[in-house]
Amino acid sequence: MPATANTIPLEQVDACCWRIPKRYKPGMRVDGLIFADDRLIEQIKGDQALEQVANVAFLPGIQTASFAMPDIHWGYGFCIGGVCATDPEEDGVVSPGGVGYDINCGVRLMRTNLRVDEVQPRLKTLVETLYRRIPTGVGRSGKYHFGPSELQQLMAEGVGFLYQRGLATERDVDCTEARGCIDDAVPTHVSDRASERGANQCGTLGAGNHFLEVQVVDQIADERAAAAMELQKDMVCVLIHSGSRGLGYQVCDDALRMFRSVPAVHGIELPDRQLACAPINSPEGQHYIGSMRAAANFAFCNRQLLMWQTREVFNDVFGRSWSDMDMQLVYDIAHNIAKFEQHRVDGQVKTVCVHRKGATRAFPPGHPELPERYREIGQPVIIPGDMGRASWILAGAPGSMERSFGTTCHGAGRAMSRTAAAKDARGRRIDQELLAKGIVARARSWKGLAEEQPKAYKDVDLVVDVVHKAGLSTKVARLRPIGVIKG
Amino acid sequence: MFELFEHTADVGLRIRAADLNGLFAEAARGLFSLIVENMDDVRPGRQRTFCLEADNPTELLCDWLAELLFVFDTKHLLFVEFDVRINAEHKLEATARGETVDETRHRLDHEVKAITYHGLTVRRDGPGWMAEVIVDI
Repeated sequence: MPATANTIPLEQVDACCWRIPKRYKPGMRVDGLIFADDRLIEQIKGDQALEQVANVAFLPGIQTASFAMPDIHWGYGFCIGGVCATDPEEDGVVSPGGVGYDINCGVRLMRTNLRVDEVQPRLKTLVETLYRRIPTGVGRSGKYHFGPSELQQLMAEGVGFLYQRGLATERDVDCTEARGCIDDAVPTHVSDRASERGANQCGTLGAGNHFLEVQVVDQIADERAAAAMELQKDMVCVLIHSGSRGLGYQVCDDALRMFRSVPAVHGIELPDRQLACAPINSPEGQHYIGSMRAAANFAFCNRQLLMWQTREVFNDVFGRSWSDMDMQLVYDIAHNIAKFEQHRVDGQVKTVCVHRKGATRAFPPGHPELPERYREIGQPVIIPGDMGRASWILAGAPGSMERSFGTTCHGAGRAMSRTAAAKDARGRRIDQELLAKGIVARARSWKGLAEEQPKAYKDVDLVVDVVHKAGLSTKVARLRPIGVIKG
Repeated sequence: MFELFEHTADVGLRIRAADLNGLFAEAARGLFSLIVENMDDVRPGRQRTFCLEADNPTELLCDWLAELLFVFDTKHLLFVEFDVRINAEHKLEATARGETVDETRHRLDHEVKAITYHGLTVRRDGPGWMAEVIVDI
């Protein structure tokens, strides 16, 4: 029987942080540390997420702690909202479960110079056109087709490949994490099955919790940072949430199959098979890392092509060019990924493999990996909330480097299971409820909206308060949705 | 028979059957019940055969469902009828029948990303068999 939250010892570290001591389970190499306040920790106790935080602490080479963000909830293997850094020099492992099936699932925010009152009269047409032209939902193919050699090149070069073909601007490249290309990707490590599954899906949204939202800036919390991101109150933006589609799912699936016997070979004992892992410096570990990076580059391209199609729709709906509407990428960031980064551990700078499973990088001001335009304010962090309330833009803060391997939360986090949310929505029209709040929503299925209804998520304002107070990232602007398309 | 069980982010399937062959057939039906809302309207006109091997029934179940998912994702084939034969060496031979997705008749529902190993169970249950599998949505 899985442990219940009541049997897991939790010690309060400070107002925003809780500890699961490593004595909880023999085999834990470090403590678990959960960023949450009194209110959120009670919600977090509702499922098996805390047990998963403890399980991640078993991974060889784990540094400092098994971390969890305030939006954590029960995932598979890792909790969603989990962070784990492993040191290759201490036999550290890489775990596909610490990245997830949707490799480089992430978000991007595009700003426009349109104000809400300019968009409102055409909002319904805009949402209908976005829904019709942007492929959404199960099994949808896109309009972009890449042959086998082009796909290999796309996975090696990321958004730069699209730039060469006139499907991205220099600024798009500059404002994407890692400039839209994780170095040392090995596309030849991506199986034919994975390529086949993803070949026609670059530029498609998918289903589940993926979405495209038209949003309005309704609150500025930090004028200076908002100015650097060119955000103003009442300005219309577009938020896109998607990942590496079938290609990434298959890369993860292939790796887990390859890793089946690896933990036993290396004498690694794991409390959950989904935590399957391989030493970073093993052939299996290197194979996965190369293919995971290739899938991550595919995901950056997927979101780029989704944004490109959005610009085309705005062109047609408003009868103006997208450059005239100044539709510029603010930032694109991954929240399911493992990356090698330099961090200070026990006073020593080390290169560690940071797994972020439903967690966002949040580099502070001055970090050399940030584009020049954000060097002084910190990395933009995009936190989608739910389709009825709000999303947030934050900026990376120094506390993230000191406390959480440069990481903050990634969303509101689910408060209800999918089955419970669908049951709760029986007899209701979620699209009509949203419309009453001024939000036009289109989805392929009733269940898609029901399972993703606002009530299914925690209040994103509470989640963001915690990471702000904990110093992991600071509030810049709050956005509210006015248009939603979903699979 | 199969039923859904609660999982916060994803969906759990609990399957029961009299024997292992039935368990795998029912698990496949459970998977496609998540993908298409009106399974009863899927016609079993096309068929495809599968041949898989694994070290144990648990891994075999994972591989079987993952294979069906792969065929759905790449060929857009919805399956609704399954004949499964599993031998003592965990070798599976199966025939699945269904048809290509037709959005004028089929209401597609969840995008199942993968079959996870988290909590994956195949075991004897009284006189029959029981399995639990969590799929990533």
